[in-house]
Amino acid sequence: MNAVQRFIRSRVLLLTAAILIVAMCLSVLVQGQSQAALNRTVDENSRGLYDILVQAKAGSGGALMQPEIANGQGGISFDQLDGIRKLSGTSVAAPISLVSRVSQNLESPRLDAMDYLGFNAGLVGTATAGQPGGTDPSKWPAAESVLTDEAKKYRMTASAVSSDGQSEQTLFKSMAEGSLGKARLIEEQTAGGKSIRIAGAEGETGIKFPAPAGGSEHNLFNLSVSLPLAPQVTESVVAVDPVSERALLGTAGDFLAPLEKAPPADARNAGAIGRHFESLFTTGISMEELEEGPDFLGVKLKYWAPLMTQYQQAKRNGQLTADSQAIPLIVRSGTSLDLKYSVKIEEIDDSGNVVKDVGTVTRSLDKDYLPFVSKSPFALSWPGSQDYSQLLGNTGNFSQGLYNPATWTTDFASAPKYTDGSTAGNGAVDKTATPGEWVTVNRLPEKAAGGAPVDQTQREPVDERSYRESLETGSKLAAPLAMVYGTFDADKVQEAAGDINRLPLGGYDPSPLTLTEDAQGNKVEGTELKPSLSATGLVSQSAGAITDYYGLAAARGYEENSSVIDAVRVRAKAPGSWKQSQPEVEQLADEIRDMGLEATVVAGSAREDANIFVPGYSKDDAGKESALGTVTQSWVRQDAADAVSGSLTGTNVTLLFLTLIGAALLTGASTVSYIRQRRLEAGTLRAMGWTQTRVRSWVLAEFGVGASLLAIAGTILSLVSWNIATVIVSASVLVLYAAAAYFAARQLRHRDEVDQEPQHDERLIAVDSPLTFANRQLSTNKFNTISLAVAVGVFGAAVGGLIALLIDIPRAAGASALSGLAAASVALPSIVLALSGVAVGLVLTLVTGRFELQAKRQYLGTLEAMGWNPDMLGQVRLFENALVGTVALPLGVVGALGIGLLLAPYAALWAALAGLVAVLCWIPIATKVVQ
Amino acid sequence: MNNDVNLDRIPQDDAGDGSLQTRANTILKAADHGTPLELSNITIRYGGQKGGADAVNVVEGFDLTLHAGEMHCVAGRSGSGKTSILTVGAGLTLPTSGRVFWEGQSLESMGDDEIADRRRALIGYVDQGGALIDGMSALENVLLPAVPDGEVDQRRDMAKDLLDLVGLGRRMRHRPAQLSGGERQRVAIARALILGTRVLVVDEPTASLDRTSANRIISILKDTTSDGIAVLVASHDHELVRLSDTLTELI
Repeated sequence: MNAVQRFIRSRVLLLTAAILIVAMCLSVLVQGQSQAALNRTVDENSRGLYDILVQAKAGSGGALMQPEIANGQGGISFDQLDGIRKLSGTSVAAPISLVSRVSQNLESPRLDAMDYLGFNAGLVGTATAGQPGGTDPSKWPAAESVLTDEAKKYRMTASAVSSDGQSEQTLFKSMAEGSLGKARLIEEQTAGGKSIRIAGAEGETGIKFPAPAGGSEHNLFNLSVSLPLAPQVTESVVAVDPVSERALLGTAGDFLAPLEKAPPADARNAGAIGRHFESLFTTGISMEELEEGPDFLGVKLKYWAPLMTQYQQAKRNGQLTADSQAIPLIVRSGTSLDLKYSVKIEEIDDSGNVVKDVGTVTRSLDKDYLPFVSKSPFALSWPGSQDYSQLLGNTGNFSQGLYNPATWTTDFASAPKYTDGSTAGNGAVDKTATPGEWVTVNRLPEKAAGGAPVDQTQREPVDERSYRESLETGSKLAAPLAMVYGTFDADKVQEAAGDINRLPLGGYDPSPLTLTEDAQGNKVEGTELKPSLSATGLVSQSAGAITDYYGLAAARGYEENSSVIDAVRVRAKAPGSWKQSQPEVEQLADEIRDMGLEATVVAGSAREDANIFVPGYSKDDAGKESALGTVTQSWVRQDAADAVSGSLTGTNVTLLFLTLIGAALLTGASTVSYIRQRRLEAGTLRAMGWTQTRVRSWVLAEFGVGASLLAIAGTILSLVSWNIATVIVSASVLVLYAAAAYFAARQLRHRDEVDQEPQHDERLIAVDSPLTFANRQLSTNKFNTISLAVAVGVFGAAVGGLIALLIDIPRAAGASALSGLAAASVALPSIVLALSGVAVGLVLTLVTGRFELQAKRQYLGTLEAMGWNPDMLGQVRLFENALVGTVALPLGVVGALGIGLLLAPYAALWAALAGLVAVLCWIPIATKVVQ
Repeated sequence: MNNDVNLDRIPQDDAGDGSLQTRANTILKAADHGTPLELSNITIRYGGQKGGADAVNVVEGFDLTLHAGEMHCVAGRSGSGKTSILTVGAGLTLPTSGRVFWEGQSLESMGDDEIADRRRALIGYVDQGGALIDGMSALENVLLPAVPDGEVDQRRDMAKDLLDLVGLGRRMRHRPAQLSGGERQRVAIARALILGTRVLVVDEPTASLDRTSANRIISILKDTTSDGIAVLVASHDHELVRLSDTLTELI
C-alpha cells in the first residue's frame, strides 16, 4: 500500500486536508469578494463633483480642511481663473466667494383678529366681480368676529426669542393694554352722497405698542394690531459663476439658469431698473404679468414687487444714489435662522387682573420665509381667527413682501479660525475655536421705516462673541437693491453633492455644528447649533442668496474686478474612478501650483468629524466668560480613500490570515490526534524490525500527500486571485501543516525503557481533593493540557476578534464618512470570516479535548468505582477545565487584544474582555460536554 | 467469626516482621453486619432496549447471596456476563430487572450520592488490570478512596501497611507504568481495602498474569476472606475456581 493509498485510507488525514483546502478556498473567495466590494465603494464615492480645490497661497493647509472654503478673503484674480480654465486638463473651473452679510428688517409685524363685516358694496365696490379668484357677492359668508360687541380690555405681551440650539435668547419683550371690540359700519351723509366707514366698538380705546409700532385699526376683514419691530434678519450671500456652477452641479444647478440672463455689470443701475418697473405701472400691466412677473431681459421676474417698493422707499429716504446697484439674486427657500415671535393675549378687568387667558400665538421664520422677498407680511393670527381676505381674489396679494432696502455689510463675514489639537489614532482631530472680540447685538434701528424714532428701551442689547473678521472692501456702498431672479432648495443641492463628498457646497452650505460635551465635559445628546442672528457666532449660516461675480464686486464696493475669488473648484477632464484619474489630476494640480496658487487634490477625500473646543462663548451679567464645550463638525479629510482602502484591506487580509491559521492549527491538532492513535501500529512495525527513521518516513509520506494537495490548492488559488496576500497565506498554511506533521511523526518515537527507580516526586502537591487530583492529571499529561489550552486560547482570541469587528470596524477604518460606508460594504464578508475563525477555534477545542477522552473516561470510571460520588466527579471535571481555562486565559485575552489592535484599535479592550468572557464561558460548557 | 488475618498465607516477599503483622491484624478486621451482598433474580440485557430482536439477555434470573468471609467465583466464557454481574453487584450499573441488596438494603431505594457513599464504605472494586491512575504513585493510588472523606493523611500509614501486606512495601513510590501487571493488580486490591471494605469485587484478577503472580493474587484474596471479607470474583482461572467457597458458572 503506497502513501497515497494510506493517506486515503486514513480518513482523518484526508478529511482535515480537505477541510483546510475548503477553508483556504472559501476564505480567499470571501476575502476577494470583500476586497472587490471595498474597491467599488471607495471608487464610487471618493471622486466628488470636483477634483482640485484652488485657493490663494497660505490658504488652508494640512490634512484636514475647514468646510468653509468661501471665506471672503479672496486672493484669486479673474485672470488666474481664466488661466486655470485654459489648462488642457481642466473640464470645469467654478469660482466661489463669500459676498456679504445682509441685514433685513421684517415688515412691521401685526396681529390680525378676525372681525369680518360681511359683503358691503360700498366698501368692496366691484372688486370681487371681475377679479380672478374673487367670490361672487351672493356667496360671501355671514359676518363673523372673534371680538365682542362691547369693547373688552386686553393685555398683549409680544416677545421674540432666538436659539443657537444650546440656549434661548429673548430678543425683546414688550407689553400694551387697551380695549377692543367688534367693528361697526357707519353710514354718513356727506356732501357728495352717502359714505360708509368702519369704526370701532363704542368706547374702544384700541391697543398701541411703543413707537415705532402703530396702533390698532379696523378694516373689512379683521382688526389689525401693529406689533413691535421684529429683530433684523441677517443672511449671507455668496457669488458663483452661474455657467460653471451649473456645469459642476448638473441638473441640480438648474436653479441658477435665470442668473445667466441677468444684465451685465454696466446695466445694473438700481435707479434705471427701478424706473423701468415704475413705468410698467404707468403704461399698464396685465393681471397675468402680475402673477407670473413682468419680462425683464428675457426673465420673468416673479418677485418684482419687493424690488419696486424697496426702490421707492430708498428713493424717498434719500438712500438711492447714481451708484446704487441692483444685485441679481437666487434666494434660498426658507432660512436656517431660528426666530420665534410670540404674542400672549389676556383679557383683563379695570384693575388689570387677568379675567381670561385668550391664548398665545406664535410664528417662526422657517420654510415659508424667503430672504429679501418674504412671501407674506409677518402677521400673526388671533386665536380662532379665519382669514376672509381671499374673498376679494388676487388683488390683495401681489404687493406683499419686504419693502425696506436691506443693509449690506462685510462685517463678520470671514470663516472662524481654529487651532489644532491632538489627532486620535483613527484620524479624528481635536481643535479649538479661536474667539474674537465681544460685539453688542440686539440693538433696535434708530428710525423706523417711516422715519419715526424708535423707542430704544424696548430691547436690552447683549454682548455676543465674534469668531469672525470684517472684510476689506472698496468704497462705501450706495444702497444696493436686491433683485430676486428665483429660488433654490438647499436640500436638493445637498443631495446632488452626495453624502460623502459635500465639498462643492462648502461655500454656501456649511456643515452643521453639533454640541457633544458641555463646558464641564459632560456628554450632551446631539444638540445642533444654529446660526446666530447677528452673524457673529461660531456657526456660519447657509447662504440666503447666490449672486454672480458682478454682484460681488458691486456689493463689495469695488469699481473693477480685483482678486475677489475665494476658491476655485476644478474638475479634471480625466474620466473614471479616483485611482484611474489620479495621474492626470495630480498633473493638473501641479500646473495650477505653477501659477502661484494653492492647489489641493480633494479627489479621494471624504468628510469626517472634527471635535472643536469652544472657549469664552458667553458672558454673564458680571462679565464672567464661560466656555460652550465641545462641538463636532464635518471637515474634509484629504486622502481618506487611500487610508480607508489601505486600512480595510489590511483588516481583510488579517482576518483571512487569522482564519487560516486557526484552520491550520485545527489540522495540526487532528494530525496529532491521528498519530497518537497509531502508536500501536508503530510499535508493531518496530517489532517487525523497522527502524525509528523508517517508521517516521512511512508516516511522513502520508502527510506528504496532504501537503502536496495543499500546495496545489494554494498555487491554484494564488494564480486565480493573483494576490500576494493569498500567496503568503497559502505558504503559511503549508508551513504550519508541515510543522504539525513533523511534530506528530516525532510522537511515534520509541519509548525509553521504563526506569525502575522510584519516579514519584514527593514535592508534588499531595492528592487529597478533586482540585489536587485535577491538577495532578493535567500536570501528568502536559502535552494534552497545553494543546487544549492553546485551542481554548485561540477560541477566546477569535471571539474577541469578532467582537472587535462588530463593535468598531468603521472607526478602525478611520473617522471619515467614507470609512463608514466602505466598512459597511465589507462588514458581511468580514463578519463571515470572523465567524469562521470562531467556529475553527471552537472545533479546535473539541478536537484537542478528545485527545485523551478515553483515558479520561476510564479514570473517571475508576474514581466512581472507588466511591467518588457524582458531585466529586463533577468537581474533578470542573477543576480540570478551570485549570486549562486558567492557562488559556492569558493567551485568549492577549490574543484578543492583539487581534483587536490589528482590526479595530478602539475596540481592543472590548475584544480582550470578550476573549476573557469566552474562555470563562468555555469552562462550564466543556465540563458539561465531558460529562 | 474469626476476623483476624491469616498472615501465614500472604506472600512474604517483603519479609514482614512482627510489628507489621500486628498492624495488619487491625487493618483487615471487618465487622459482621449480616449478608453483605445479595443479588436477586438479576437480568441484564444489552441492546434493543425497546425489546427489539437484537436485544441480548446476557444474564437472566441470576441469584446470589454472598456471606461475610465467603469467596464466590463467577466463571464462564468470555462475554458470558461475568463482568456485568460484578458491576451490578458493585452498584456501578443497574440491572435490567432484579434487585441488589447491600447489607439487606435495596439499591433501588438509594440515590446516586447515597450509592456512592455506601459503596465507598462497603464495596471495594478491583477492575480488570487494576485500573490505576497514571501520574500517581502506588501509595497515592491506594489513598484515592480516602479523598472524598478527607482522610488522606489519617490513612497514609494504613495505606503503607496495606502495600506492605500485598508485598509492595518497597514500590509504593513507583508509578503504574513502572509496575508489572501483577503488581498493579495488588495495588488495586490494596486500594480496594483501604476503607475497611466488607465486600471485595474483583474482575479477572489473574488474567494475563503468570502462574506465580496469579497465585499471589489468589492467596491475597483468600486471606481477605479469612478476615471476614466477602469476595465476589469473576474468573476462569482454575486455581481460583478451585479455592472459591461457592461457584456460579455462566454458560
